[in-house]
Amino acid sequence: MEQQNRTEANDSLKGISRWLHFFVLPFRYEKPSSFLKDSGEARQYKGLGLGGAPGRAPQQVKRSENMWGTLMRIWSYLAQYRVRLIAVLVMIVIATGMTLLGPYLIGHIVDHYIVESKDGLLFMLLLTAAVYVVQAISAWLQNIWMIQVSQQTVYKLRTDLFAQFHRLPIAFFTKRQQGDLMSRASNDIENISSSMNSSFIQVFSSTLTLIGIVVVMLSLSPLLTLLTFTVIPLMFMGMKWISNRTSRLFRMQQRSIGALNGFVEETLSGQKIIKAFGQEEEVIKGFTSRNENIRLAGFWAQAISGFIPKLMNGLNSLSFALIVGVGALMTIWTDSVTVGIIIIFAEYARQFTRPLNDLANQWNTLLSAIAGAERVFQILDEPLEVQDESNAKPLTSVVGDVEFHNVNFHYDQGQPIIQHASFQVKAGEMVAFVGPTGAGKTTLISLLSRFYEPSSGAILIDGQNIAQYTRESLRSHMAFVLQDPYLSEGTIMENIRYGRLNATDEEVYEAARLANAHSFIMRLKDGYQTELKLGGVGISQGQKQLIAIARALIADPAILILDEATSSIDTVTEIKIQEALQRLMKGRTSFVIAHRLNTITQANKIIVLEKGKISQIGSHEELSQQEGLYRKLVQGQVVLEA
Amino acid sequence: MRTFTEYLFRYRGYVILAIILMLVELAVEVIQPLLMSKIIDEGIVAGNVDSILLWGGLLVGTTIFAFAIGIVSSFYSSYVSQNFGFDLRQGIYESVQRMSYNAFGKFQEASLLTRISNDVNQVQNAVFMGMRILLRAPLLVITSLIMALAINAKLALYLVIAFPFLSFFLGWLMVRNNKLFRAVQQKLDQVNKVMQQSLMSVRLIRVFGRMSHENKQFQQQNEQLRAHTVTTMIFAELANPVVIILINGCILLMLWAARHQLQMGSPITVGEIVAVVNYAMRITGALSMISWIVTALARASASMQRIDEVFHVKDHEQTDAPSAQKPLHLKGDISFSGVCFTYPESNMKTLTDVSFKVKPGQLLAMMGATGSGKSSILQLVTRMYHSDAGVITIDGKNIDDYDLHQLRINIGYVPQEIMLFTGTVADNIRWGKLDASLEEVIEAAKLAQIHETIMELPQGYDTLIGQKGVNLSGGQKQRLSIARALVRKPSILLLDDCTSALDVETENKLLDAINKLSCTVLLVTQKMSTTTRADSVLIVDDGKVIKQGTHEQLLQLSTLYRKIYQSQRGKEATEWSNKTEQKLMTP
Repeated sequence: MEQQNRTEANDSLKGISRWLHFFVLPFRYEKPSSFLKDSGEARQYKGLGLGGAPGRAPQQVKRSENMWGTLMRIWSYLAQYRVRLIAVLVMIVIATGMTLLGPYLIGHIVDHYIVESKDGLLFMLLLTAAVYVVQAISAWLQNIWMIQVSQQTVYKLRTDLFAQFHRLPIAFFTKRQQGDLMSRASNDIENISSSMNSSFIQVFSSTLTLIGIVVVMLSLSPLLTLLTFTVIPLMFMGMKWISNRTSRLFRMQQRSIGALNGFVEETLSGQKIIKAFGQEEEVIKGFTSRNENIRLAGFWAQAISGFIPKLMNGLNSLSFALIVGVGALMTIWTDSVTVGIIIIFAEYARQFTRPLNDLANQWNTLLSAIAGAERVFQILDEPLEVQDESNAKPLTSVVGDVEFHNVNFHYDQGQPIIQHASFQVKAGEMVAFVGPTGAGKTTLISLLSRFYEPSSGAILIDGQNIAQYTRESLRSHMAFVLQDPYLSEGTIMENIRYGRLNATDEEVYEAARLANAHSFIMRLKDGYQTELKLGGVGISQGQKQLIAIARALIADPAILILDEATSSIDTVTEIKIQEALQRLMKGRTSFVIAHRLNTITQANKIIVLEKGKISQIGSHEELSQQEGLYRKLVQGQVVLEA
Repeated sequence: MRTFTEYLFRYRGYVILAIILMLVELAVEVIQPLLMSKIIDEGIVAGNVDSILLWGGLLVGTTIFAFAIGIVSSFYSSYVSQNFGFDLRQGIYESVQRMSYNAFGKFQEASLLTRISNDVNQVQNAVFMGMRILLRAPLLVITSLIMALAINAKLALYLVIAFPFLSFFLGWLMVRNNKLFRAVQQKLDQVNKVMQQSLMSVRLIRVFGRMSHENKQFQQQNEQLRAHTVTTMIFAELANPVVIILINGCILLMLWAARHQLQMGSPITVGEIVAVVNYAMRITGALSMISWIVTALARASASMQRIDEVFHVKDHEQTDAPSAQKPLHLKGDISFSGVCFTYPESNMKTLTDVSFKVKPGQLLAMMGATGSGKSSILQLVTRMYHSDAGVITIDGKNIDDYDLHQLRINIGYVPQEIMLFTGTVADNIRWGKLDASLEEVIEAAKLAQIHETIMELPQGYDTLIGQKGVNLSGGQKQRLSIARALVRKPSILLLDDCTSALDVETENKLLDAINKLSCTVLLVTQKMSTTTRADSVLIVDDGKVIKQGTHEQLLQLSTLYRKIYQSQRGKEATEWSNKTEQKLMTP
């Protein structure tokens, strides 16, 4: 009995404490100060034992290093829309003026035309209506004009960035992560776009409004104006207290989001393994732990930054109360204030804190947009691939004789990469480059196609130095079949035609037939119209090679550059590839970076490279007789990295 | 939208609490003009200082009270929104993990990532905003209207005129904006896709000299995005001007009426007029907030629709809680009979009538052209995909009847493409069996012939690999993936052409080591050196098994096999083909 009573009491106590718990729960979160300290850089994540995936930390609001330079740079994009921007400014001035005038007129009407019943009310009402219409129209116009300008600018910026990517030296892309470049092209530019749409206008109109309000208020009643100003120090103190806390919290939140994104990216691309190993629950645990961090930082960031509008509202009401109260006393004790003035003042005081609030908000957005712009400009400022000399002429026709004449190459101030390379190739011959990784095989090819320029010496095609031709025309006489076939998204037809954009359908079919690709393409449901997807289940690696060969065939180049694939391709397909390559090389000067002996034995000339120097030149038979790397290779004493 | 309400419902208590607090705040705000009219009527007009002080003091007091309430409600609403966002993120990620592999394939990875991060953020912010402003603005409008009506119904009636028009207009705008924003978002995806693709094939574009062609294509997409964005924004910006004109028009009408009523001798006080005007101005402010909210909501609901698409994938895998069943040890007796398989979304038959049997502990090698269906056979064993016809059994039981988790715990799978995760070497191996001791990890590494290489790394098993860490060669990564599969001590080991970068010697050692384990091995290979060791060889071509037998039998029976054998013998005569694939460890 007693027992029961006690449990009942316990129950009701639990009931109360449950209620209490309900109310205080949101305040019971781990305090921000405690986790800000230990979390300096890396918080330990649970699950999977994977270290905190670095991920990309997105859009951190960071102060840019050269803000004025970046701003001037943005201006250089905007400058061509000068007229329109001036129009926007005019509209801002008009809209702001009208916004200020409206309440004034209404106060005036109440004072003089209703309380005092003066004549001409209709006229005053129409005038006020006109003011509001002008305000509405100019507000709309300023927005849409600004949007037009900013979208044009963003369009230009995107196009510039895209074009820049295709003018940068290839080496640039080996240094950079594609994810990072993509994030500049999408996130950063989006950031610029959205803040240009609104922030610029906001900043201008807020400043103007602020000035306008102060002027009007002063002219109405200096004393009441001073009264309104008393809330400003309070506001600054409050804002400072809040932003001191939130800026750290927001950074913390961004970092957590970055970690989560990195984790998600990795687990999405490893989905196959996760499924096959049945590790779903484990990755979910890992995700939860990161997600919890976002929640923790996010909760405090949001709760504290949520004080801002409350503070503004509170201060607004406070100044409202002060104005009405003190204003009322003043109407009684002095004659300097009328009821109309109180109305106007109350309204202006409400409008007074808003632009200040907006300015504070926009400042952050602007800073992050400028930081984004800087990241974009960084890319635009990268040194370009060497551009054609002004007197360069197009290379019109090529027979195919190639000569390297004492070619040396080193990067700026760097170690020599190629030393004294000299050899001659007759049109239609096949040359195989053999040597360990880093010996300079790829560099020789890059010199021939002028991705690099020799430091000294000359490369001649048909007896003419290639330095005198434009790069694009030079490359148009070459075709490349690379290890990675680099097909792009689109139909098979489009991919083959990429070799020569004006090729007819018939020519595409013919090229595919020669490349042994036609039969497998025809077996696909959509044939030549089959869409190739990046990383999709589409077609096999070997089949991609065949398409790449067809693409080279249709280009019909005089010079062919081939980087033999090392990946394991099944024997049947490999036979097909070899056959297709034979057809492709026929009658063309071919340079092959070779990995397979049977390819090399067919070459007219084998060039053995060691540490940037040509150590042996000759045919398979000749070199097999000589002492040297080649014989060791053939005998299997030395192996090369694939 | 059901998902949305379902998730929000979990926090209904706090949502209600936050809304109540907001109402209190609102009440205070709404009372203020009333207090003002008291000050004017009882104070100024009557010349009563005490009354001014009384009502003025009340005004200040309520302000401070409202501020305190606001701070408290900030906690509740961010509690709701952060937990809601947490749950939603968790929900999407879990449903992505629970999706069948096939359903997963239908989403682009990048788009899933944006849904999990960006779209959830959008919705979460909308919820937060919702509790604080969304209801506040309409409530402010309604209560102000009611107060105005209470003070002077005749005057306030003029304000009511505008509302049918406004609500119709704003509703229409919201529906349109939602559509427009979705279109813009899609265009943006398109532009980013073109950019990404072109970044991926930057070398190809360069060597073919197709820069201007690419630029032109990009410009086209980019221009479309610009045009879409501009039209959408111009449209979205319409809301505010319309609100300004409508409401202020009503105020002016009301003033006109006020004058009339005064002249007719109606009992209207100046204080009343002033208060009603003040309420009307508050309504204007709140309404322009609403027009902004309409835009934000259109965005958030577009995001929610994208999230819902993920939730609505019904194609889930059967995943019971792993602890529900006790571990089951399979023997590894695999049989395929008459299995046919077509990849979803594809019309080409990948496998046709595939039948074979493997006894426990045997090594079955599969050979055939790329795309002939070997990898698909392995994936069917893991139940990543389901066969359309035929039966696959393990230990005599249809694999569909196994608990998925129990089945997979018995399988060690090494895919063709290498997938390692950011983390240490040990972490990556342990990934196969999370509770593996360091000894077990080392044992697996030894079996996979990678132990010595690991010991040469700067921090041994604690060396970081991945984006920030050491770069391993292809062969090393392959062996690491094999170690990850071996640490599970699987009954069934599936090796999908994952020894391509190993030299003959290492591969032999690896196969010797695997041979000593008691597990059934299905292995895809292109190398004769491997097939000679197999208990049985399957020749797959165009989705069909053309021959099955031992190496010797096939040399007799299959001309294709003989042809491949001879072509590889030819190469191996000089030991070239395989030797080139061996990694040169010295720089």
